[in-house]
Amino acid sequence: MARYAMTIDLSLCVGCAACAVACKMENEVPPGVFRLWIRERELGVFPDLTVEFRPEQCLHCQNPPCVPVCPTGASYQREDGLVLVDPKKCIACGACVAACPYEARYLHPGGYVDKCTFCAHRLEQGKLPACVETCPTRCRAFGDLDDPESPVVKALEEAGRVDVLRPELGTRPKLYYLNAPSKRGLTRESEVRHD
Amino acid sequence: MTEFYGLPNAGEFWHWTNALHFILVGLAGGMAFLAALLHLKGHGEARRYTLLALLLIALDLLVLWAESPARFRFTHIWLFLSFHPQSPIWWGSWGLALSFLTGGLLYLGKGPRKPLTWGLFLFSLVALGYPGMALAVNLNRPLWNALLAGAFPFTALGLALALATLLGSPWARAPLRMALGAALFLALLYPLTLSQEPGATSWRRQASPSSSWFSWDSGLSVRSASPPGRGLWRQLA
Repeated sequence: MARYAMTIDLSLCVGCAACAVACKMENEVPPGVFRLWIRERELGVFPDLTVEFRPEQCLHCQNPPCVPVCPTGASYQREDGLVLVDPKKCIACGACVAACPYEARYLHPGGYVDKCTFCAHRLEQGKLPACVETCPTRCRAFGDLDDPESPVVKALEEAGRVDVLRPELGTRPKLYYLNAPSKRGLTRESEVRHD
Repeated sequence: MTEFYGLPNAGEFWHWTNALHFILVGLAGGMAFLAALLHLKGHGEARRYTLLALLLIALDLLVLWAESPARFRFTHIWLFLSFHPQSPIWWGSWGLALSFLTGGLLYLGKGPRKPLTWGLFLFSLVALGYPGMALAVNLNRPLWNALLAGAFPFTALGLALALATLLGSPWARAPLRMALGAALFLALLYPLTLSQEPGATSWRRQASPSSSWFSWDSGLSVRSASPPGRGLWRQLA
């Protein structure tokens, strides 16, 4: 069984939001809510300036805090590691929305909670997630962590630096950030722009 | 205006109805617990407060249904067709439903009185405790900790006893003072239980000699890895 993961090379990301647009289009995400978004922060002092563009989405955690709190089993984790929501069972109680440390879930106007699925429907057709396929700088890689030949493993092997969001929570995310522009790694939550 | 940048989903879910539900469910659970105690003591006002508990539970469920975006999808049936004891809301659903059922039977005078009274006592305890637990299980929210979960039943009981006092039941005054005293004591302890960053406890639990190559920046909410060689990412996988 595959163990899916994604990498985003922050040294290549230019924050164009093409991934976010592709996600919206592919998954018919309604206006006002997002499965994927970009956070940015200016780093350094003139003349040594840079910007960290950090695309964020569901991290498909190995220990997802959103799954056990679901009272109906609508939130579940597949054997391949994907954390999904079954809309037919979801009562939109919001327990998973509160439990997610990454604000990755939103309430769909259809009356259920929704989030990134790593484009599970595309994976079944042998395609890549829409965000990976669309990225013009090829900063995203996707694949099986247990396959040494998969793009995601190669990207991880070649990266100078690997970070995950909020590892202190023990969620073990399956979305890895590579080569963060700051020497300290990813910027802390309070430093990221919220506008 | 929403856009692709920032943190667009944050706060989308939270409305004033969430606060109303927490007040109503506390009042309903507290009143059901009070009714069970009155039945156990054979108090003359037991039936009156059972009716009040039933009305409050019904009102709370009505508010929950009305504010639910899934109100016309009827998916709530899954709460009772599935077994998810890890979820406080699953417990709460059963606690409220069975409190309503046992309270209703007690009010109507149907069924064996003693088992129903003990049933109402136990189920109302679940209804009293689950909202605090539903908050406390979220390790990523530093303000929603175990002490908050412990304080919720006392504040809920205090709310029910305060209503009983307002309705002219003098026996509620002494226990009201005790419930408020306990809630106040826990409220005073509350600031001492807060950590400076979310998940600080789990941070300590996660740190181990095997991951010593990770550099932990004090105060940062991320763990940064600067592996000197290849393949060390596997410790994150």
